[in-house]
Order: sequence, then C-alpha cells, then structure tokens
Amino acid sequence: MLNLIKKIFLPDTFVLSNGKSIKEKFNWGPYITIVVVILVIISAQITNVDINVWIKNGKNFVQMIDDMFPPNFDFFSVMFKPMVATIMMSLLGTLIAAVLALPVSFYLSSNPEFKLNKYLLTSNRTLLGLLRTLPVLVYAKLIALIFGSGAFSGMIAIAIFTFPICVKMMYEQIETVDMGPYEAMISTGASRARSIICSVFPQVKGYYYSTVLYNFEMNVRSAAILGYVGAGGIGVLINTQLTWRAYSNTGLMLIVLVLTVIIIESTSRYLRRKLV
Amino acid sequence: MIMTAKKLTVAQQLKNQPVYWPKVVISILALLLVIYLGTQTIELKNVNQKGLEIAINIMKGIFQPSLALITDMSKSGLAYMLLETIAIAFLGTIVGMTLALPLAFISSRTITPKMISRSGLLIISIIRAFPSFMYGIMFIKVTGPGPFAGVLTMSVTSIGMLSKLMIEAIEDLDHGIIEALDAAGCSTIQKIRYGIIPQLSSNIISIVIYRFDVNIKQASILGIVGAGGIGASLIFAISGMRWKEVGAMLLGLIIVVLIFEFISTKLRSKLATGE
Repeated sequence: MLNLIKKIFLPDTFVLSNGKSIKEKFNWGPYITIVVVILVIISAQITNVDINVWIKNGKNFVQMIDDMFPPNFDFFSVMFKPMVATIMMSLLGTLIAAVLALPVSFYLSSNPEFKLNKYLLTSNRTLLGLLRTLPVLVYAKLIALIFGSGAFSGMIAIAIFTFPICVKMMYEQIETVDMGPYEAMISTGASRARSIICSVFPQVKGYYYSTVLYNFEMNVRSAAILGYVGAGGIGVLINTQLTWRAYSNTGLMLIVLVLTVIIIESTSRYLRRKLV
Repeated sequence: MIMTAKKLTVAQQLKNQPVYWPKVVISILALLLVIYLGTQTIELKNVNQKGLEIAINIMKGIFQPSLALITDMSKSGLAYMLLETIAIAFLGTIVGMTLALPLAFISSRTITPKMISRSGLLIISIIRAFPSFMYGIMFIKVTGPGPFAGVLTMSVTSIGMLSKLMIEAIEDLDHGIIEALDAAGCSTIQKIRYGIIPQLSSNIISIVIYRFDVNIKQASILGIVGAGGIGASLIFAISGMRWKEVGAMLLGLIIVVLIFEFISTKLRSKLATGE
C-alpha cells in the first residue's frame, strides 16, 4: 500500500547499466487532482448541492417543458414587435460599437510603425479591459435607470458592452498585419490617416466584418435577457408571461427565439466563412 | 507576345481601377434602411429627467464604495457573495467538463461513424440554442432558488462551447502515435494512457480554464433569475439606488474577474508552450 502511494506521488528512480541513477520528471498531476477534488467538495458545500432534490422534484423539470407544448400560436401577434425590437437593438447596438471601435482600434495597436506612446497605450488598454469585466446585464440595468426603460437603453447597453470586445479583437488583428505597404505610403508623403485607410484597413477588412457579425450573433443571444432589467425587447414579455404561469405563450416565444438565433447564427457563419 | 503590345501608362491604369461607388451606395442605403427600421421599433419615449443625476450618483458610488459591505464577513457580506459566485462557476465548469467530454468524443468525425457524430453534433446544437436564463428558470423549478440552480445552469450552458473546442482538439489527434503503440503490442488501456491522454490533456485543461474564466462573468448574471451568486444583490442594490453598495460590489466583481483573467492567461500560455 505504502509503495503504491509512493509510486503515485514521488518520481521513480531508475538505475542505468553504468551505475548512474536517473530520476523521473516530477509529475504534478496527482497533487493537482487532489487540490481540485478538495475545491469541488468545498464549492459543493457553499452552493448547497443536494442530489436528493433531483429525486424529489425531478419531474418538475419535465413538467415545465410539457406545459409549453403545444405552444399558443395566437400569441404571435403580441410577441412580434418585441421580437423585432430585440433583434433591432442588438443590430444597432453592434453597429454603433463597430463604427466607433474601428478608429479606436488603430490607436490601440502596438505596431511600432504607428509610433504611439507606450504608456498611453497600456493605460488606455487597461481602461477598456475594465469595461470588459462587467456583464452586459449590469450595464443594461444602470442605463435603464438613466435613459428610462425601453429598447433604447438596451441598444446603448449592448453598444457599451460590445465596444471593448470589438476593439480588442481588432487591435490584435491589426498587430499581425504586414506593415510594408503602410511604410511605402508614408514614404511617398501620404498622411497617416490616408495610409491607414489605403494600406492597413484592406488587410483587416474581412476580419472586421467577421468580428461585427460574430458580435451581432452573440448579442442577439444575450439581448433576450435584457428585458428582465427593463431594457426592452422580448425579455419583458417572457418575464411577465412566466410570472402569470402562461407556459404555452412562453413556449411559443422560446421556439421563435431559438429559431431566430439559429437562423442568424447559420447566416453569419456562412458569411464569415466567405469573408475570411 | 500580347504583353509588349499593351501600353502601361499611369493615366490608363487609373482608368482601369475597379469601380467602387455602386458598392458604397448599396451599403449606405442598407445602413439607412436598418436605421429607419430601428427607429420604428426602438423609441426614446420615457426618458427620465433625473438621468444625469443618477449617472453622477453611480460614478460617486463607484469611487466611494461602502466599507461596511466590504468588511462584512458574514453570509450577507461582499466576500461571501463573491466566494459563492466563484464556487458556482468552478463547480459548473467541472460538471460541464464531465458532461462535455463524452459528448465531444462521440461527435468527433475522426473517431466515430458519420451517423453517430452527426447525432452528437445535433444534441450539442440543441443544448446551445436555448438561452441560458431559460435553463436557470427551469432548474429553479426543481431545486428552488439558490446557488444549486446556478451550478446546474452553468454546467449545461458550458457544454456548448466546451464540447465544440474539445471536438477540435480530438480531431487534431495524431493517429500515428496510437498506431505505433498498437504495433508495439499495447492493450487498449495502455493506448489511451500513453497515446491519447498525453496528447489531449494540456489542450483540454487549457479549454476548461478558459471556460472557467468566462463562467465567472456568467455566474454574476445568474442571480437575476434567482440562481445565486452576486447578481441578485447587485440588481436589488441598483434598483434600491444604494449606490455605495453598488460601488463596492462592482469593484469586487471587477477585481475578481481581473485576477482570474490574469491567472487563466498565464496558465494557458504556460500550457501552450509546454513551460
């Protein structure tokens, strides 16, 4: 028994034919496994994990899906407008963020040819990184208080949330670009803006459109929940219908939402494959 | 040859340059259409007059966080809420990994027959299609509001991305190594132990660490449907306009996310380069 434990936790020693002894490379695996297991047990205690609840209430899970079918198709006329608003606010939010992100990303890329101040670069990047840490729901809640509840707040929240993501994805791409054409244009006496538009932007153009589409795809997914905090869209309707226990209406909304997400996702994936 | 017959002057080349204006006009028209449709559905009606005042208060709160909440070490304190959020994300990631790994093996095109891998991919895309808060609501029906529902939601919503990345890793496996072990007369278990695990482990650990990083951000949202974590108290504090508490919670969240992002990037770059 003790030998087995020793074999797992301590590296083996091999004696070669010329009398030299060689130690095996130290293996962190078992130690990490033990730490992870301990952490799992602690987390399970913090989060009150209890399997018995599933045995007792497991049928409720199926019951709710069962209640949603058949969905109430008459409800479609009510949910049509909020659904369009959800798509529109994510589309416009993404567009605003994308248009603003493009020039900013050039000012945040660390290509030596751009000759930007290093400290300014790092501090601005950190600032954008801070914006990225908060979830979109928090922005939506704060902005719904400032601009009032409605799809407009959702749009602004999505724009604020998408902007730093777009900028980060773009400047990482710009840093990999071939800077030869840019230097050539600068040496002909063209202005910096002109050289960027004509020599750097065409190289990242496909990636830029693909980034915008990807973010739009993500935002349509997350926009559905924004209504919960009063930022417009379909979430408001889902929230009220669920509190009234109108599950057949919720079922219809869920089906339309899933279908919309799948359609947008597959179109965007097709377009992105063509772009890059 | 034809090349010599053609004259290449600057003026001619300028004439030959591709025509751009139809593209530009079409995209501007499309943009205008989208904005017009947007204004039809998105209306700026009930703008609060106190908006600016609230914005200033939010800023004030963030710079003067409530010390009472930060130093409170009981169950209603900031530290415990953050710990709960991290615990939900951690457990959700681990359970999600154990669910995603077999699914990923089933749906890898290089290992299983076409029919099985197709059906595996179908299952994954169905799981992915539902919005995460719907899972939250459904799990709360079973477990009642609390962090346990959050753990379940996290684990199901992690499956989509985890299995997708894992499939890529599995499909990149080098089959030559496994064939070589086969030729050396290894049993199936030995082939898995010495042929597959060493190839996959660092990739999969790096995927899981990345998802853990994402899950910490996600776990802070779950509270909105009552699934535990810091989310619920944060949203209540914002609704109640207790800006100092909001500031403390936002600060705590930012710091936790940044720390885990830092650790995750360090670990993943270490795993990718092999130390």
